[in-house]
Amino acid sequence: MDTRDAFRHNVLTSGHRACSGCGEAMAARMVTDLIGPEAIYVNATGCLQVFSTHNQQSAWQAPWIHSVFANAAAVASGVEAALRARGEDTPVIVQAGDGGTFDIGLQCLSGMIERGHDVLFVCYDNEAYMNTGVQRSSSTPHAVRTTTSPPGRVSEGKHHLKKDLISIVAAHRMPYAATATVAYFPDLRAKVDKAMRIKGPRFLHVLSPCPLGWDHDAALSVTVARLAVETGLFPLIELEYGAVTGVTRLARQQPVEEYLKLQGRFKHLFADKGGAEEIRHLQALADANIRRYGLLDANTEWDTDRASQTQRHGRGGYAASSREVSP
Amino acid sequence: MNRLAIEPGSTVAYHTGDWRNQRPAYRDKWPPCGQTCPAEEDVQAWLALASDRQWEAAWRTLTERNPLPAVMGRVCYHPCERACNRAHLDTAVNIHGVERHLGDLALQQGWRHRPLTDQQQTQQVAVVGAGPAGLSCAFQLARRGFPVTIFDAQSTPGGTLSSGIPEYRLPKSVMQGEINAILALGIQLKLNTRIGADISADTLREEFVAVFLAVGALQPRTYPDDGYGDHSVMSGVDFLRRINDGERLSLPGQIAVIGGGNTAIDAARCARRLGAEVTVVCSQDPHGSHGGHPGAEIPASLDEVNQAEAEGVRLRYRMGVQRLVRSGAHLSGVEIARVDQIHDRHGRFNPVLFEGTEEFLPASLVVFAIGQEVDWRGLEPLVQTETSGIFVGGDAAGKPRFAATAVGSGYQAAMSIIALLTGVPPHYEHHDKAEVTFRDIKPQYYPRQARREGALMAASPGEFSERVAGLGNEAAHEEAGRCLNCGICFQCDNCWHFCPDAAVIKQGQGYRIDDDYCKGCGICAEECPSGHIDMERVAG
Ligand SMILES: Cc1cc2nc3c(=O)[nH]c(=O)nc-3n(C[C@H](O)[C@H](O)[C@H](O)COP(=O)(O)OP(=O)(O)OC[C@H]3O[C@@H](n4cnc5c(N)ncnc54)[C@H](O)[C@@H]3O)c2cc1C
Ligand SMILES: Cc1ncc(C[n+]2csc(CCOP(=O)(O)OP(=O)(O)O)c2C)c(N)n1
Ligand code: SF4
Ligand code: SF4
Ligand code: SF4
Repeated sequence: MDTRDAFRHNVLTSGHRACSGCGEAMAARMVTDLIGPEAIYVNATGCLQVFSTHNQQSAWQAPWIHSVFANAAAVASGVEAALRARGEDTPVIVQAGDGGTFDIGLQCLSGMIERGHDVLFVCYDNEAYMNTGVQRSSSTPHAVRTTTSPPGRVSEGKHHLKKDLISIVAAHRMPYAATATVAYFPDLRAKVDKAMRIKGPRFLHVLSPCPLGWDHDAALSVTVARLAVETGLFPLIELEYGAVTGVTRLARQQPVEEYLKLQGRFKHLFADKGGAEEIRHLQALADANIRRYGLLDANTEWDTDRASQTQRHGRGGYAASSREVSP
Repeated sequence: MNRLAIEPGSTVAYHTGDWRNQRPAYRDKWPPCGQTCPAEEDVQAWLALASDRQWEAAWRTLTERNPLPAVMGRVCYHPCERACNRAHLDTAVNIHGVERHLGDLALQQGWRHRPLTDQQQTQQVAVVGAGPAGLSCAFQLARRGFPVTIFDAQSTPGGTLSSGIPEYRLPKSVMQGEINAILALGIQLKLNTRIGADISADTLREEFVAVFLAVGALQPRTYPDDGYGDHSVMSGVDFLRRINDGERLSLPGQIAVIGGGNTAIDAARCARRLGAEVTVVCSQDPHGSHGGHPGAEIPASLDEVNQAEAEGVRLRYRMGVQRLVRSGAHLSGVEIARVDQIHDRHGRFNPVLFEGTEEFLPASLVVFAIGQEVDWRGLEPLVQTETSGIFVGGDAAGKPRFAATAVGSGYQAAMSIIALLTGVPPHYEHHDKAEVTFRDIKPQYYPRQARREGALMAASPGEFSERVAGLGNEAAHEEAGRCLNCGICFQCDNCWHFCPDAAVIKQGQGYRIDDDYCKGCGICAEECPSGHIDMERVAG
């Protein structure tokens, strides 16, 4: 048991083999410490599972099960049903990558929601199959370079658009679905807290930059996530029973180039005329999101400035565990 | 632990720290506010305490360097605010407003300065001049156990704070309150004692091992006209001294004040309060007309000029005096003319006037506020010979001549005197720290917040009551909270939240990096709002 930190349980602790600057490790550390160690975590196959469990060593300081790639939501449904049968109410959490959510895991996720299981499904979206070497997924945005969507004479990277998963999930008319990123901790915390107060199926979609697959400086994982939001490419929203009930307003909109230019996966777009057209296309997609969710004019106090405000003399803010956490 | 370790258990057995080629280091910087403060206050430190409502601790931190916060918060031209990084975000922190609030609170609550040692030294130090330089030096020495005697020629302490700065900017009770708190450390004050006259320089030299000369620059520069001393020509310092002594001068209807410095504006505003029509004639152009270029714009501070104009003082910019116009012994006015060049070839202030642009400015009194010099009379034996143990500071040491500069030089002198008497060289903290510019700040983590100002109260004729109100607890607390804490950790937790490797460990106070696991990604440094974290290359 690692007890180095009196203010944080470190459900996902040190020694894991994620790349330096990994956004998925960062996201999972924040989410699981907000939930705490008294939960059962079910993990689909993918980077998070692989880098946290190595050579019979585990980085998890909470009950944790590895399912296979496709069926994490089904395994979690079973765990939840079993706990219910025993009269226990330990929270059940699924963690999966975008491949394990948007693609191969989608039908299990849909079934879990449809059957109304009391499970929080967290998707750490790094927009490709990273663990197997950066193959495109249905979450990979338009025009991105991956190993299976290489730019060249006939293509400007991935041809298809990023799947609108949050709408698909919300269309199940489930209690709570929300998007978040690593960049706005107060926003992420509010959403995890809210999800944990609600019963039934819940879904949290956390954009998690990947320095390797996105090809950006490891130090910029948070910055890149922030720009994904501020450009409008990744809207921060909440949906309850299918309706949009919350929007994190953009204090100011950034042009998509600010986001694209930090990442090697978009580098080819800056090389020629075809690329310039794709940049305009991505800008149009961002603008469409902004219109669709009213990201610039939503009537709310909660904007990206507020959502990035740090506390002074911070006192943690993570879940206390039964292992007394005292300052 | 071997990197290929396969014992079942926790991954903490596996040290990812050897992946890195750079490592983060927490480092306190020296923010521009403190760097620019002539008294070298640790501005950031006391603002942080004030933002936490630790008022007394804030006051104690501030007074480490400046025992006159209520005074300085009122009269200092606050260069710190021109340097403040927050200006690049929205507006500079109202540093002087919080400073004044702390000083006022201390007076209200009767907080007393504490000595730094209970060891009493025996070597006697003399301070000549009870202005801010002398008081500051005496304060620093007394806190460190040295017996100090201050001599001053005047009948009240405070130097120019008392004799020059008018009551509506600095109430005498405020100044006296802070001086009393300084003297309460056991400092001897001998008033009405001019060194070089009442006590000779040689006697002083014999009785004290060290002497700090903080005699100010009190000798007014005069205009070559024989009318000084009669009722129609006066120097700004004499004019202000008489008003500050409580004399209710009866003034003629029209007055001309010559000069563009703060003394000129103070004299003009006082004259205005006594009911006169006042015109200030200054050789320079208005503020902002030359992009802040020193020498070409009026040297008096912008706030002062604005308040003077609001009170009805008229300003004639870029005009100089050709001659005084008299009819018999009676002064009827001044002939002024347009200034061509302000400085001569050698860069000396020496305005040249355009022929043919003369105007007649009616006035029955002309006040010249055209600069002051140091009066060394009687002190020559101390300054002319190479003797050790004699130190000069404040206005007497040259320009810039500001109250906070005087306070800073008093501190420096005290440190030099202690070094001389103890043989241990002085140690200046902060000076080895890196600076922190706005480029090191992450603005996205700071909300935009309007600056709070002390309210401006109406000026009524004949009234010398204070014009600018204090901030009060709430506004001072909020204003202190606007500080970005440049280069200093304010425990926002960002580095700790964002580290993907649980290599930032939060402790009761602050954080530490666990070198066993830090992979050197640099996210903590990138996302630290205040620029407190540096990334260093590691060999290998
Ligand atoms: C009208 C006016 C307004 C000003 N306004 C401001 C302002 O708003 N903000 C600001 O920062 N600065 C201001 N200044 C400048 C500021 O007052 C001075 O820089 C500061 O007071 C200098 O402090 P000091 O201790 O060196 O000298 P002083 O304050 O001038 O004190 C010198 C003292 O030495 C005494 N003394 C001199 N000779 C002898 C002797 N031989 N024996 C014994 N005692 C002696 C004098 O009596 C005097 O009390 C102003 C100056 C003037 C003239
Ligand atoms: C059925 C099946 N197909 C393929 C794989 C190989 N595989 C393991 S992880 C992975 C990609 C995971 O991608 P994603 O879910 O996006 O998670 P990431 O690694 O990006 O976090 C793949 C294809 C597998 N384990 N099982
Ligand atoms: S923001 Fe605070 S620390 Fe930074 S320069 Fe201004 S007063 Fe100083
Ligand atoms: S964020 Fe963590 S791993 Fe990255 S440099 Fe900082 S301490 Fe090291
Ligand atoms: S990120 Fe925040 S907590 Fe960490 S060093 Fe910087 S100011 Fe302190």
